[in-house]
Amino acid sequence: MSMSPRARWAVPAVVGAIVAAAFVAPPLMASASSDDLPDVTPEQLVTDVAKAPDQPLSGTVVYTARLGLPSLPLGDVAGASPVNLLDGSSTLRVWSDGDDRSRASLLGPTSEYSVVRDGSQAWTYSSTDDQVVHYSIPASDQARYESMQAQPQVAGDLPTPAAAARSVLNLVEQYSSVTLDAATTVAGRSAYDLVVTPKDSDTLVGHVVVSIDAKTDTPLRVQVWSTKDTKAPSMEVGFTDVTFAKPSDAVLSFTAPAGVDTKDVVVPLPAATDEPSTALPEGVTVSGTGWETVVQASGVNVAGLLAGSTDALSTVPGSKPMIGSKSGQKLLDEFGADGSDKARELDLPTLYQTLTTAVPEGRLVQTTLGSVLVTTDGRVLVGAVPGSTLQADAR
Amino acid sequence: MTQLQAASSTASDQTADVPTDASTAVRTRGLTKRFRSGQVAVDGIDLAVPRGAVYGFLGPNGSGKTTTIRMLLGLVRPTSGQAWLLDEPMPDAAPAVLPRVGALVEGPGFHPYLTGRANLARLDAADATADPRTATRRASTALERVGLLAAEHKPFRQYSLGMKQRLGLAAALMRPRDLLVLDEPTNGLDPQGTREVRLLIRELAQAGTTVLVSSHLLGEIEQVCTHLGIMSRGRLLLQGERSVLDSRGTTTVQVTVTHGHAASAVGVLRVLGLDVTAEGPVLTADLGPIDPPRIPAALVHAGIEVTGFEVRRPSLEQVFVELTGEGFDVAR
Amino acid sequence: MSLVEAVPSRASSYWRLQRSELRLVLGRRRNLVLLVGLALVPLLLGLVLFFTQDTALSGQGPAFLSRVTGNGLFLVVASVFLCLPFLLPLTIGIASGDAIAGEAAAGTLRYLLTVPVGRSRLLLVKAVGALVFAAAAVASIAVVGLVAGAALFGVRDVTLLSGDTVPLAAGALRVLAVVVYVGLSLTGLVAVGLFFSTLTEVPVGAMAATVVVAIVSGVLDTIPSLHAIQPGLLTHHWLDFAEFLRLEPSWSVIGGGLAVQAAWVAIFGALAWSRFTTADVTS
Repeated sequence: MSMSPRARWAVPAVVGAIVAAAFVAPPLMASASSDDLPDVTPEQLVTDVAKAPDQPLSGTVVYTARLGLPSLPLGDVAGASPVNLLDGSSTLRVWSDGDDRSRASLLGPTSEYSVVRDGSQAWTYSSTDDQVVHYSIPASDQARYESMQAQPQVAGDLPTPAAAARSVLNLVEQYSSVTLDAATTVAGRSAYDLVVTPKDSDTLVGHVVVSIDAKTDTPLRVQVWSTKDTKAPSMEVGFTDVTFAKPSDAVLSFTAPAGVDTKDVVVPLPAATDEPSTALPEGVTVSGTGWETVVQASGVNVAGLLAGSTDALSTVPGSKPMIGSKSGQKLLDEFGADGSDKARELDLPTLYQTLTTAVPEGRLVQTTLGSVLVTTDGRVLVGAVPGSTLQADAR
Repeated sequence: MTQLQAASSTASDQTADVPTDASTAVRTRGLTKRFRSGQVAVDGIDLAVPRGAVYGFLGPNGSGKTTTIRMLLGLVRPTSGQAWLLDEPMPDAAPAVLPRVGALVEGPGFHPYLTGRANLARLDAADATADPRTATRRASTALERVGLLAAEHKPFRQYSLGMKQRLGLAAALMRPRDLLVLDEPTNGLDPQGTREVRLLIRELAQAGTTVLVSSHLLGEIEQVCTHLGIMSRGRLLLQGERSVLDSRGTTTVQVTVTHGHAASAVGVLRVLGLDVTAEGPVLTADLGPIDPPRIPAALVHAGIEVTGFEVRRPSLEQVFVELTGEGFDVAR
Repeated sequence: MSLVEAVPSRASSYWRLQRSELRLVLGRRRNLVLLVGLALVPLLLGLVLFFTQDTALSGQGPAFLSRVTGNGLFLVVASVFLCLPFLLPLTIGIASGDAIAGEAAAGTLRYLLTVPVGRSRLLLVKAVGALVFAAAAVASIAVVGLVAGAALFGVRDVTLLSGDTVPLAAGALRVLAVVVYVGLSLTGLVAVGLFFSTLTEVPVGAMAATVVVAIVSGVLDTIPSLHAIQPGLLTHHWLDFAEFLRLEPSWSVIGGGLAVQAAWVAIFGALAWSRFTTADVTS
């Protein structure tokens, strides 16, 4: 009892201070050194990124959507599922060999949804319903696969910073102006902040910030800012930690677990053309250009999709129409075209009613980054534009 | 310690930080405890328990005895003042001193679901200075000493109040002690049990152990004490050797004479300087400074037949009432 | 009078008290009932899953449950998962809330302190006792889960959350890691309970407060506007045991979860120490 009571009570205060310092200091120190990057012009940076070889890497990605949707009755009941990406924050693990083998896993607290690509094959696996979907290309396309850099499309794909950056930078040349912001730190690495601002006035996209790793020219983070919300990015996908090294073979391959349902899907490769994006599936038309592009799909059996009918899936034209805006693409993916069995566990009609509002043309979803209009005559219009633009297009 | 001293926080003329009298088993200086509620439980007391004494620490319930004992044992931190046990400062010297001190504080406290023996083993395991090899033997001795050997394998919760109290004593006796601090050891005991405790205390004192025993029932332990200290409302009213204490208060004499001699007897006693009241043949007077044997001698000398003579010493209770103006058993 | 026979060494006297404390904690009937109750969870769960595995109910329910019938090892994980939100915190709350307050209520605290036992040492002994009981609680679920799972469903190669399959030995090691992580995840709550236990002489109060802390922490973890503080919450990283069932467990996630527990242990351990070594013992 040699210490006074007051001195004894100082001990937890000191311990508290040390703990606080231990938890606060490392992030501060990590963000301390982002100066002294070599000077580069925005245009040069865009070219560098386009030329840079894809790096073998693994890391953790946090994806955040603040689309201004009504709060969704999702909870965690569905486990890890691409539907989680509609709102809030999601954590993903990604691995890539820098070539045609990769894995992305969406993490739920006690669940996981994985997309594994291994050359001409791909798998999705959901731990919640313990189901594997195996995608492959027809044997007749195998020879063509070797020469083409096209992999089979997967329903319920997961976002990565690289993919998001690619869809943004594709629009740079014609439709956007680019500037360079102050250097930043992403996932503990020094990075350039490339600011891409649409030249178009009608799009909901205010600007996009692409953070590019100074050493490897790999996109580390993409933030999409809406014209409607200047406080926080409406969509953000970026690494929180990343390692540039080739992942182990076990990560890049997949064998369906024993005794698990495996659904086989054969996806023909798109017709060989120089510009795949112009090869639109039947029933899909595109109007507008650049950021204002509106994709219109007709003959969609919305009611059937909502009822969970797999037959209705066939009414969705094409597996994956290319849309200029990544977020518009995503909305279409998740809202309509992802007819996986997992989605059936959700109360889709209720979800549909919650998300959409009635308009004269049908039902409309408006988010901070894009709109989806489902017309009463079975057309779906999607674009990174206000709902009024879609309504005008639909008439 | 031959002089009776009135003890209070201001009456102390001791200034050194260490006790000057090396023969004290317990000593405090200005020991004060003010609880967070603002209540002053102990108000600047100067205890002095000589080695080898059986010190009766007396006072009504709520007078501050238990809080004092808790401060002596390092359970409660004094607001101010110091305490020494066996000449070591408390609570700093607790690890060195307390193994030499057996304590029973505010009733026995044991795990109800453990047997008596298991409870003793638990306490012995906690004693860093105890030799584990002799634990069983020491427990047996202690249990036998308090007469609990027959009930050693019963769970504590099945013990009667008296048995629980005995187990508490057994715990205090697990090892030879220089000082025993027994707080209300007779609580819950029947008259037979109370007698046994008194006997035990006497026995321990004869073996050289200093005993500080507290009680709110004066009569129960008064007889075994060599020294007494009386607490009231947080203050130590007085303390000292029992014989000296006995001279406090008013001693009366009562003389009974044969019929018809009452009036002359009153005259004789008045000559001795006593203020006498007579009720028939029974005369009563405050003793004052007169040596009691002089009274019957004077009466006989005057030819008065004395049939009864009694010197009535004050009871402690009377002394307490005289000191405080209130009854002893009143809790405040 | 010389009183000292043979004074034991510091370490041996510590272990003597520690052993006595463990006997007290693990020998107490109430605590044994708690352990048996926890052990019944995997047993009942296994039996229910066994008898419903061919009915429409099979494959339903929370995470891991659907995997149990395919691999008995998952009965361990599913049982731990089911006990984590309430039953384990309840058990921890009872054991740690009782640590000091129980001794105070029984009146044994003052006797231990006058033996004397140094207050810091007693607190350490009590903390170790509560931690061992927490470990015993998790272990009883795990062991019974393993035995029941193996008996009812057999054990085989383990399918991870990512859909990949690892050999039985590696899978069993991962399940063991899950159990160890869950045990370590409870250390923060033990420290909180220990602190509450030093505040009161009413053990039930300390127990209830400890359980409430775990539940409130769980509730706060679900409120989106508290996003900023959630990573520091006591229960926030509890489900990160699932990391061991992912293809490549992230050591930064696991380390982060354990670091948060270490922080709670440090802060509440220090608070408990300050409180206990300065408190007046008036019980």
